[in-house]
Amino acid sequence: MKRTRDEDDSSGRPAKLRRVPNEDRLSKLSDELLIRILSFGTVHTLLLCQRVSKRVSRIAVDSELWKAAYYNQFVLPRASRIPGIKDAAASDHLCYYSKMSRWLDDGYLVKKGLETNWKHQYRLRHNWSQGQCAVSEILVADRPPDPPLLVLMQNGLIFTADSMSGLRVWSSKNERGLIAFTTLTVNGTDTPRLPTSMAVDCHKEPKGQHRVVIGFEDGSFTIYALKKDDVTFVVLFDYAPSNSGMLSALAYASPYLLAMTEDHLLSIYSFSEDGQDATLNPPRLLYSLRSHTVWPPVSLSIRATSTSMTAAIAYSIPTYLSGWTVGIQEMRLTHEGELIESRLATAADKNFQTLSGHRSGSSPSTRSPLQFPGGSLESTPPSTPGLSKPTSMSYSHPYLLVAHPDNTLSSYLVRSTSSVLKISPGTRLWGHTSSVSGAHVGMRGKAVSVSRLGDELRVWDLEGGPASSARKRAANGGLSVRVQPAKTTEYSSGLNDAESRRECGLRYALDQGYDDSTVSRGWIGFDEQHVIVLRENVNQGSQTLVLYDFT
Amino acid sequence: MAATASEPKKVTLTTSDNADISVEREVAERSILIKNLLEDIGDNGDAIPIPNVNEAVMKKVLEWCEQHRKDPPASQDDDADSRKKSTDIDEWDQKFMQVDQEMLFEIILAANYLDIKALLDVGCKTVANMIKGKSPDEIRKTFNIQNDFTPEEEDQIRRENEWAEDR
Repeated sequence: MKRTRDEDDSSGRPAKLRRVPNEDRLSKLSDELLIRILSFGTVHTLLLCQRVSKRVSRIAVDSELWKAAYYNQFVLPRASRIPGIKDAAASDHLCYYSKMSRWLDDGYLVKKGLETNWKHQYRLRHNWSQGQCAVSEILVADRPPDPPLLVLMQNGLIFTADSMSGLRVWSSKNERGLIAFTTLTVNGTDTPRLPTSMAVDCHKEPKGQHRVVIGFEDGSFTIYALKKDDVTFVVLFDYAPSNSGMLSALAYASPYLLAMTEDHLLSIYSFSEDGQDATLNPPRLLYSLRSHTVWPPVSLSIRATSTSMTAAIAYSIPTYLSGWTVGIQEMRLTHEGELIESRLATAADKNFQTLSGHRSGSSPSTRSPLQFPGGSLESTPPSTPGLSKPTSMSYSHPYLLVAHPDNTLSSYLVRSTSSVLKISPGTRLWGHTSSVSGAHVGMRGKAVSVSRLGDELRVWDLEGGPASSARKRAANGGLSVRVQPAKTTEYSSGLNDAESRRECGLRYALDQGYDDSTVSRGWIGFDEQHVIVLRENVNQGSQTLVLYDFT
Repeated sequence: MAATASEPKKVTLTTSDNADISVEREVAERSILIKNLLEDIGDNGDAIPIPNVNEAVMKKVLEWCEQHRKDPPASQDDDADSRKKSTDIDEWDQKFMQVDQEMLFEIILAANYLDIKALLDVGCKTVANMIKGKSPDEIRKTFNIQNDFTPEEEDQIRRENEWAEDR
């Protein structure tokens, strides 16, 4: 049978090849067909196929395949949690509605179009979800500055500010070097100014520059622009010292700046953007208010829509019954500065939502707070004393995350519509085995937290809220993962190497054995690819930025 | 040999090895290529040449078309759901695909050429299932693929992809 077929075919195809007993037919398929075959395989299969042969390897890294994998793994599960998107997503899982993409915060990936390395994106998200990262350190100060060092990270840049070294910006990318710096001194003198708060413009790099605003102890603030082309800091605007006291918190989303003093005087400024590149004109004070209920820590945020802007203060308040709870004051203003409304909301101060109560027949023994395999979510038993005073607060609408010294975090969901401002009952997040000193919540409800001893970093996925799938995931301990730094052997090539790197203010973590002499100063933040923690060595007093790289 | 006037529903296909196969038009029209051809040139009773498929493969393909003749026609885009799970091949199709590798790949090529999406997917899924769960070396053996990586290159790729390994 075979023989006859071979003879029949020999006119059309090289007979030689047909007679090879075991022919490699797979590799002869067109790219299109190979991709189709591999599209039925899992990510694991794709990765294994990369090692089969050069031809198969080239197909297995095909961006289309990884794009599909990325969407199936990370976008569809999200989309199905958002009402109204489910149906569209199910039938069209490779179509990107621009509106939907924006909702999902993935629009930037699509915008980049063909240039997006989908395998890289997949890997990034995968590492986040698994808590896998490489760790490196940047030595920022030999002794702790006073006031404490301020740190922020955005778009792969780490901004630090302190009175001794001034404003510095580091790259969190491969080189991890110092990019630019400027001293913080009173004009024309050597007198250092004491920075007490810092904010990075969260609007996308106006005019190709990053903007940073630093608030000082004397109530003044200065806006700096980091030019992309010549990588230097330029002063855009200097606000004179005021008698209302130290600036304790800032939020910046150009043209709006939100500043809060230690006396809880909140001011909203608006800068006009009139094309003058060199400096900014003095701002207009849109609104100002003094709060008597706000206790630190606070978290300021600005959201702007086409018709209005919303300034929000998240703060902690003491209560009689349960210790501490959180509140939000929100002010909605027109772009001209007219107050549309101002409103307050406080989280229900007791009776934390009982998640265990929803799970019939759950066995408490497997979910006791003493076991923290993957972090879990548990209601506060009625007998426990109230919440202790928060150590850190982070508000990224709609998520409000509060860190407590008692090894836990509280997560709140804020609902803000034109008619209502509400904070959901808090959900306790268990997982840390020592006091939580810092927490930061950002895009997509992704949050990171660090314990005081600095040896424990957890990545949380708050999305979906405690009311829905989070409960399911909590049941199998999937709400948070402890970050496991990869032992990077390539960095351990030799101490000399590390020493030489230290010359330029850079130090790699050679091992993960942190002893008690290093404590986390509680500052924590992250962007798309990294998490950074400020860690202090108690004995030497030096401060180090520890960078967890998830790429 | 050609379809007679009394059986208007039959069409004749001429394979690459010059065999004529008479088949019901409804069955043949599982192939979008044939369907479009018939619509374009009209069914004038002439044999339709299929120069890229030989008789043995064509018969096999038509066997599948016969079995699936009543399936709802696949629309252009809604294959998203059906493609999700690679293991999902219905029983008849699984048996149908129990052929040697040569025939399997011939069926895939034919289904691609004749534009029979559902059959193409069954074929691709079958191959995907043959790959699944195998080591690179086993994959190479299964399909007789020449390893053109040096051990160093292969090791390099393995290390680059370590991030995805289960812990």
